[in-house]
Amino acid sequence: MNDALHDLPPGIAQAQAAELVAESIVVQFQGLMAISDVSLKVERHEIFGLIGPNGAGKTTLVNCLTGFQRPSTGRVLLAGEDTTGWRPDKFRKQGIARTFQAGRLFRDMTVAENVEVTALGLGMSRRAAHEHAMAMLAWVGLADKADAVAGTLPYTDERRVGIARAMVMSPAFVLLDEPAAGMSDAECDDLMHTIVAIPKEFTCGVLLIEHNMGVIMGVCDRIHVLDGGRTIAQGLPAEIRSDANVISAYLGMEG
Amino acid sequence: MKSGTRPSLVRRFWPLVALCLVVTAIVALGSLGNDELQVTITEMMIRLVVVVGIYLFIGNSGILSFGHIGFMCIGAYAAAWATVDPTWKQMMLTGLPDFLQNNQYGFLPAVAGGGLLAAFVALLLGSAIMRLSGIAGSIATFAFLAIVQSVYSNWESVTAATSSIIGVPTVVGPWVAWLFAIGALVLAYVFQISRFGLMLRASRDDEVAAKSSAVGIVKVRLIAFVVSAFIVGVAGALYAHFLGILTADTFYLSLTFVTLAMLVVGGVGSLTGAVTGVIVVTVVVEVLRHMEAGVAVGATNLHLPQGSQEIGLGIIMALVMIFRPSGLARGREVPWPFTPAARRAKVPAV
Ligand SMILES: Nc1ncnc2c1ncn2[C@@H]1O[C@H](COP(=O)(O)OP(=O)(O)OP(=O)(O)O)[C@@H](O)[C@H]1O
Ligand SMILES: [Mg+2]
Repeated sequence: MNDALHDLPPGIAQAQAAELVAESIVVQFQGLMAISDVSLKVERHEIFGLIGPNGAGKTTLVNCLTGFQRPSTGRVLLAGEDTTGWRPDKFRKQGIARTFQAGRLFRDMTVAENVEVTALGLGMSRRAAHEHAMAMLAWVGLADKADAVAGTLPYTDERRVGIARAMVMSPAFVLLDEPAAGMSDAECDDLMHTIVAIPKEFTCGVLLIEHNMGVIMGVCDRIHVLDGGRTIAQGLPAEIRSDANVISAYLGMEG
Repeated sequence: MKSGTRPSLVRRFWPLVALCLVVTAIVALGSLGNDELQVTITEMMIRLVVVVGIYLFIGNSGILSFGHIGFMCIGAYAAAWATVDPTWKQMMLTGLPDFLQNNQYGFLPAVAGGGLLAAFVALLLGSAIMRLSGIAGSIATFAFLAIVQSVYSNWESVTAATSSIIGVPTVVGPWVAWLFAIGALVLAYVFQISRFGLMLRASRDDEVAAKSSAVGIVKVRLIAFVVSAFIVGVAGALYAHFLGILTADTFYLSLTFVTLAMLVVGGVGSLTGAVTGVIVVTVVVEVLRHMEAGVAVGATNLHLPQGSQEIGLGIIMALVMIFRPSGLARGREVPWPFTPAARRAKVPAV
């Protein structure tokens, strides 16, 4: 383990929650059922794959799990505690971090500041936040770009900064929304090495949304498949690979 | 400097030092001039306090506020209530509470009171509107300006309404105003590089990402709003003690327009922009004002029509928006001058 990643100032505790649960979530947008009765449980030591065709409801579910979308019915539980009414910043303070499909860096700020902001939001001092941000950037391999303005970064680096920002102060869970979208196979491979290390390095559960089936099958401990807002399959990679519903959903998408 | 090392203290505060030097130089040069120039310089310093105060909120939060001149009004009247002669107050401002009506306070307590009352009002108003994003929040600040205007121009027993408060001691000259300008610059810069400044600027760049970064954006916005209103309230108190006479319509649309024009022309993204805007717009307005009054060319007296100031200012704003939308300073602070040219060229390329 790399100690610099875990050196937290005294008085600042790492998030402790052991499981993140979605319980019968329903999300309706003016009549459109984006999610219908989906339940899942992510545990602290696993990589949990969330897959499904475009528009399946994956991002909407992540929004529910991070406080950005209030479910029409159903609840999100963190270590058994009902999170109803929590704002997004409270979710982060309680140890649920995320990245965004669109990157969403603070474009006018430096790369180091992008990461520092989370550390400040979580209560670190200016100096401690800077040191912690540098350790996180070294971890994703971007220490030499700390002073670059975030808006000038290439796409692949943007994703890494997003992950560094999410991993500040070792959250209990991190939800990665298509972190490898648009990357070449080699870049994607590289990124997956970083992601696979998260559960051990940070004692942090990972929920990974990714379209590349090869990648998903290779890195996930368990997989949950959505289609049209419904759960169509869940289980181990081997079970998902041979599941008739999954095969037809993906064939339907390609055809 | 190695990538990612924290810059030294001197270097971190360099933009502030540079701006303070420029402002000091202007006042020092101005103090050598005639009375008219002294008045111009004093007014410029007071406007600098206003614009820096407005910048602290708008620049860091990205939320446009049309209401700050309302805080200036509140600060100006509060200070005047404290320093005007009690015999006049007992006659004209019968609605004032006893401690104001029957006493006369010094300049400094009056200024502090003006700032604090504005800050307190900002705390109440901000608690209600800081969760609004985008245009809704800006419109609410405009409504606030209109309310302040209407209350202060009608509340006879407290503000003397249309008959003005007179006899405010005129103790503010160039150097007094300068002192407050420096204070405003220091406060704004320290806020900007503080943890709250950084979190607020993150919410300006991307509100959603800031929330996911554990930033309580309502709280950081509110802190900035209150500090910013305090500075503008103080500027109002200074203005009262510069003018000597207070009427509510001093603090309405045209002052709002001029101060926002200063901020936009200089560039809302940096403190350097705020200061640049105040200097440039003041110079332009002064030149146009002189030309309105008339310039003698031989036997004829050429002069621009009345209203040329506003039109000229509008044209300049439009030109800046077209050719340099992020303002004259382009959202940057005064750069550190001691980086070797070779290295400096490398920096943007990282
Ligand atoms: N704010 C919203 N208002 C209305 N409809 C929405 C909103 N957000 C998402 N939707 C709809 O909900 C459905 C699920 O969208 P979501 O973004 O969750 O899918 P996704 O699985 O993440 O897809 P992708 O793979 O394209 O990212 C889509 O039909 C989408 O159009
Ligand atoms: Mg999505």
